[in-house]
Amino acid sequence: MASKGLRKVVAMSDTSFDISVDQGEPDKKTRSLLRIGGRFWSWVWFILGAIYFLVPLFATLRHSLRMERDVLGFKAYERAFEDPSFLETFLLSNALAVATILCSTLLIVPTAYWIRLRLPQARRIAEFITLLPFVIPAIILVFGLIRTYSTHFTIPFTDIELFQPLTTTKFGTYALITAGYMVLAMPYMYRSVDTGMRVVDIRTLTEAAQSLGAGWFTIITQVILPNVRSALLSGALLTFAIVVGEVTLASFLGVDAFGPYLFLIGQHKAYEPAALSFVTFLMTWFAMGMIQFVTGGQGQATGAH
Amino acid sequence: MSYLSLENVTKQFGDVVVVDKFNLGIEKGEFVSFLGPSGCGKTTTLRMVAGFELPTSGRITLDGVDITDKAPNQRNVGMIFQAYALFPNMTVAQNIGFGLRIRKMNSTDVHARVDEMLSLVNLEKHANKYPYQLSGGQQQRVSLARALAIRPEVLLLDEPLSALDAKIRVSLRQEIRAIQRRLGITAIFVTHDQEEALSISDRIVVMNVGEMEQVGSPFEIYNFPKTQFVANFVGSLNNADAEVVDPANGILAMDGVHFKTAEEDFSSRKKGDKVKISVRPERFSFAVEPKKDNVIDCTIESITFLGAVVRIQIKIGNTSFNMDTFNNPFLELPAIGAKEQVMCSKEAVLVL
Repeated sequence: MASKGLRKVVAMSDTSFDISVDQGEPDKKTRSLLRIGGRFWSWVWFILGAIYFLVPLFATLRHSLRMERDVLGFKAYERAFEDPSFLETFLLSNALAVATILCSTLLIVPTAYWIRLRLPQARRIAEFITLLPFVIPAIILVFGLIRTYSTHFTIPFTDIELFQPLTTTKFGTYALITAGYMVLAMPYMYRSVDTGMRVVDIRTLTEAAQSLGAGWFTIITQVILPNVRSALLSGALLTFAIVVGEVTLASFLGVDAFGPYLFLIGQHKAYEPAALSFVTFLMTWFAMGMIQFVTGGQGQATGAH
Repeated sequence: MSYLSLENVTKQFGDVVVVDKFNLGIEKGEFVSFLGPSGCGKTTTLRMVAGFELPTSGRITLDGVDITDKAPNQRNVGMIFQAYALFPNMTVAQNIGFGLRIRKMNSTDVHARVDEMLSLVNLEKHANKYPYQLSGGQQQRVSLARALAIRPEVLLLDEPLSALDAKIRVSLRQEIRAIQRRLGITAIFVTHDQEEALSISDRIVVMNVGEMEQVGSPFEIYNFPKTQFVANFVGSLNNADAEVVDPANGILAMDGVHFKTAEEDFSSRKKGDKVKISVRPERFSFAVEPKKDNVIDCTIESITFLGAVVRIQIKIGNTSFNMDTFNNPFLELPAIGAKEQVMCSKEAVLVL
């Protein structure tokens, strides 16, 4: 006998749905209060942080303006800028900073890129190496550099000289100090670039570019570098700040850089160092503003999802 | 010789064989899907065609040219990624024109081709937007336009719809298929979604642990699975242990209930052989013709409403089976616990 199976019905039975409301959810008024409370504490922490950073800066500015008794003025700034050594050392430090940033970019971008792309197992080693400047003081680094590069270089087991001691020439010393600065800036530069590369998923972007016919040079210059630009600029800014203020390497290598100059006038003068410190702050802010301006609207945060 | 051919392609990572002696020929203009669970080797195979992975052994030829060892940028292959992979620093138009600029095409031709591609994917109004200003579906259409702009010999799609929501997935897969047909381009589509593979492909390659289980049209794969894996992976399936009763007449027994099968090589089996039988849920229906084959008594165990389909769990002997029937608001469903009779054709009873 055939089964009844699905039978026609004339009327549909009423179906009721139980739409329950979670009693544990805060109501609209409570949510609004919670939001205001959260915002209040955010502002409190922001203001405390701002005071922590701004009070010393304000004190420096105020001190730098009080060179003349009972008058607020720019005398200290005038004096500082009048000194020919200021411009000389400042320009030299800027040039060394630019050289360090360029050399670091050339070294670190391809290294971080290759490690992310092909050698992920080497990441821990690279991170360890880049953190070494935090545990090895600059004094050790500079003595190591002097000891290694102040002798004649010969091919091992022969008397054939490859090059003169680097410390005996100006160019050699600049090359040496730039290399030293690269080491000091490595933790900041590598981490900035590596984080930038993680955010944009460089592996997939590389493969996409390769499938469209791009070679390595095009991929690095047109795809990778523009997308880690913001990270690179952050690293460059930190490198700049380190190089301009660095004292140990410059002093021991005998380079007349801005760091030793600032240190020297700090020992003999009262107001000019404050003026120069404030100028350095302004320059850093200017650089940060430039980063915001250059990367504004389309930084790497807009990477592939 | 096929337009794209993979001959004995094997890929090993250390000791692990990810793809094992893979052989496949794909004709020009064909749309082939690689279907399988995670880790079955489908993406690795696709990446070997793209050049991102080198085969451990075997040969890949495209239009008669051996491309096995060619770098990815030396093969004229377009690729679409699950994560879109649009260049964030470039606008939609710049993204689409990237491959053309690499080929040193002059700017007028690049412009014309970019416009053509934008109109192909209906994104003319978004040419100057950056990827982050587009939805996921729009980004994937840009990715499609970018891959097609270079006039690739093969289009490779690596789970391109996985990151999209259900409705966009359906509309975009139809769009991809329509564009592929219009351009007559050869395409390989990797997916773990059987519905996607069934709806879009000329042929499906079902893969499991680095090996090809079955190659066939969606109709063949679904209706005539050759292995238990294919039967289970593609669509829903009821499986049960049975015993051969009458090999000549295709009769077997499960929990004392007799089934008839139309399997071709069933007569070669011996009486008493243990076999596994499989029946798709939609092949069952409530019995209306008592004299037909496979009219079976059952008990209704549960009823699940799935929207267009109602899934009824029935008990035959001691084994539970699923039965799918189309939803019809004017038909009353049987009560749970009711004794009913269901039927299925002898062709529906697969012995795998």
